[in-house]
Amino acid sequence: MNQIILMIHVLFGVGCVLASLWVFVETMNATQTNLSRIRWVSRASAACMWMAFFVGGYWYVVLYPSDKAIILKGPWRVAHNYFMETKEHFVITLLLLATYLPIAASNNLTASREARGLVQWVSGLVVVVALMAEGHGALIAMGVKEGLLARIH
Amino acid sequence: MDNDSLSRNTYSFGISLAICAVLNAIVVIIKESGQGVADMMKKMTGHHWITHVAIILTLFFAGGLLLNRTQLINSPSRLIQVVAGGVAIGVLIILGFYVIAD
Repeated sequence: MNQIILMIHVLFGVGCVLASLWVFVETMNATQTNLSRIRWVSRASAACMWMAFFVGGYWYVVLYPSDKAIILKGPWRVAHNYFMETKEHFVITLLLLATYLPIAASNNLTASREARGLVQWVSGLVVVVALMAEGHGALIAMGVKEGLLARIH
Repeated sequence: MDNDSLSRNTYSFGISLAICAVLNAIVVIIKESGQGVADMMKKMTGHHWITHVAIILTLFFAGGLLLNRTQLINSPSRLIQVVAGGVAIGVLIILGFYVIAD
């Protein structure tokens, strides 16, 4: 069950990346036809991020201490000491960014080049920071794996 | 035209986002530099991270609503610089701090 919770966290994180990438690309050619879709997908990005944050937060506070103990006794201590320590804090900024995306997308993107630019900057930053979080998560999981393998060998 | 192309909420929450991204990094440094602060934050909600999140989210929403009444920035291009700069500085401080602290 613990691993399912963790995969749900990753699933919503990927959903946030894909939705933000969608917003970034579709905003390049924003028209009255796709404006509503851009706004709905930006809301989906924020919703995915909030879900990923809540599920990941629960996992971090309740379930992660046992993984942390495995990592710190294994060869990849950096997985906790750097990658988890940084991830748990910069994802707060990511949550704010994803929350801001629908606000930025609520403007008239068809009429203003700079309004489109703002949406592209925000959605682009969400993609970059979220991919960084995904990479950090993979390294943390690898730290647990290395810790468990060290027990066997 | 472009000066009026964004809503007031877009400006106020954008500025609040930039400020909170940097404040988030400052809270990390304060929390990690003294065990007393982390302990105090833990006592408040049961976990230092939950308190940290609660502080930043409260400041973000409060800042966005309060700054709505002011006009600190009235240029979309300046807003983009502030948002991107604030987020980049905040994230880079966190990434750099743990290189030194680790």
